[in-house]
Amino acid sequence: MYEIELRVNGHVERASVSAGMTLLELLRDRLALTGAKEGCGIGECGACTVLLDGKPVTACLVLAVEADGLEVRTIEGEATDGELSALQRAFVDAGAVQCGFCTPGMIMSARGLLQRSPHPTDEEIVEAIAGNLCRCTGYEAILHAIRVVAPEEVESRTGETCTKTARLLRSDPSVGGRP
Amino acid sequence: MLGRFEYARPISVNEACRLLAEGGRDAAVLAGGTDLLVNLRDGSRSPSLLVDVKRIGELQALKTGSGEAIVGAAVPLNVVAENRELRQAYPALSAAALSIATYQLRNRATIAGNLCNASPAADMAPILLVLDAKLTVQSPQGTRAVPVAKLFTGVKRTCLTPGDVVVDVRMPPLDGELRTAFRKQQRIRGHDLAVVNAAAAHAPSRGILRVAIGSCAPTPVLLEPFETKRTSLQVLADKVIRAAAAATAPIDDVRASAAYRRAVLPVLLRRLLADVSARGGAA
Repeated sequence: MYEIELRVNGHVERASVSAGMTLLELLRDRLALTGAKEGCGIGECGACTVLLDGKPVTACLVLAVEADGLEVRTIEGEATDGELSALQRAFVDAGAVQCGFCTPGMIMSARGLLQRSPHPTDEEIVEAIAGNLCRCTGYEAILHAIRVVAPEEVESRTGETCTKTARLLRSDPSVGGRP
Repeated sequence: MLGRFEYARPISVNEACRLLAEGGRDAAVLAGGTDLLVNLRDGSRSPSLLVDVKRIGELQALKTGSGEAIVGAAVPLNVVAENRELRQAYPALSAAALSIATYQLRNRATIAGNLCNASPAADMAPILLVLDAKLTVQSPQGTRAVPVAKLFTGVKRTCLTPGDVVVDVRMPPLDGELRTAFRKQQRIRGHDLAVVNAAAAHAPSRGILRVAIGSCAPTPVLLEPFETKRTSLQVLADKVIRAAAAATAPIDDVRASAAYRRAVLPVLLRRLLADVSARGGAA
């Protein structure tokens, strides 16, 4: 067994793990963070995407011991005190969540994108989520959620109050409120 | 759970060499793990020791000064692709890296891992072949340079032996005159292995063109250099296509038939040559 220590959503976690345990198993089975999903288990579907030292990775292809000393951020780190993050809110408002299985991974990929590129082009958005498969939405609503939240995420970081997401969504009748 | 094995995380190349030499065939290098962990999961590999080389300083180095360009063996593909100097000098190196898998996987998958898996379809192989790259390999016996052109010995086989650690990938000093291009034929855009891939590097003032091809033989293939001065693009393309046909032996597999590969290879090569003959051309 290997003693590891890592930060998960800002909290220091210690665990005793066997070498064969994946980071995804550590998160889900030991730390009860079941947001990240196991879809394929071979890095193809992206449902287990988390940020490892700020970078999106598929947690099914990372060993728990490899994450020793590193920082992990999962979907559970998005909301603060029960308040959805602007990114999560945009997904809800855009109708970008249907069955929900891909959503945690999709949001973490989007989070990684917004951190490295606060004003992503459509091409960058597509590239960032190309490794996240969704079988329900057809992607358009997801692309839209990321597109409209980008300016708000930047502005909220500069301390300005912003309701841009809501405004943009209201002004675009082609999204929002769809089944 | 991906099976029962031990895990070691050396912080020096010497220590990694020793662990791998002691472990012999039962030890495996763990770099990005994007192939190895899949193999552990499906049972096609079952090493008793994984040696994680990602926290060895030299393997994370990236140097693009006036001398050789050095990329540490464990540098992730996204870092290779996004390096400004490499991207400016050799856009095709960046394009080849970005053509691999997905953003998440490229944050893990490494430059040397892509080579050392020795897949005939390895996307980093053709461009590193035409750039005349060499691997720095350290073993308990010492350090040696292995040209990428000498690395591959068969499907999924290399000339490396237990105890060998690839430290870095070295390219000749970045050459602003060199025009590079990469082309990849795949079933779907993104997220797919190559049906055929190829790279070219052209030095117009010296009149030298180098071309390498993947997915059309048991190993990636580097063709003999071509003389480009006083040769029309048409004549040159015909020469390259003839040489490529002679040097490759495509097979039928899950991704494409041999006949399709033979048909698409000349098309890809013509486009590749157009890329490197136009000013600043790149895939």
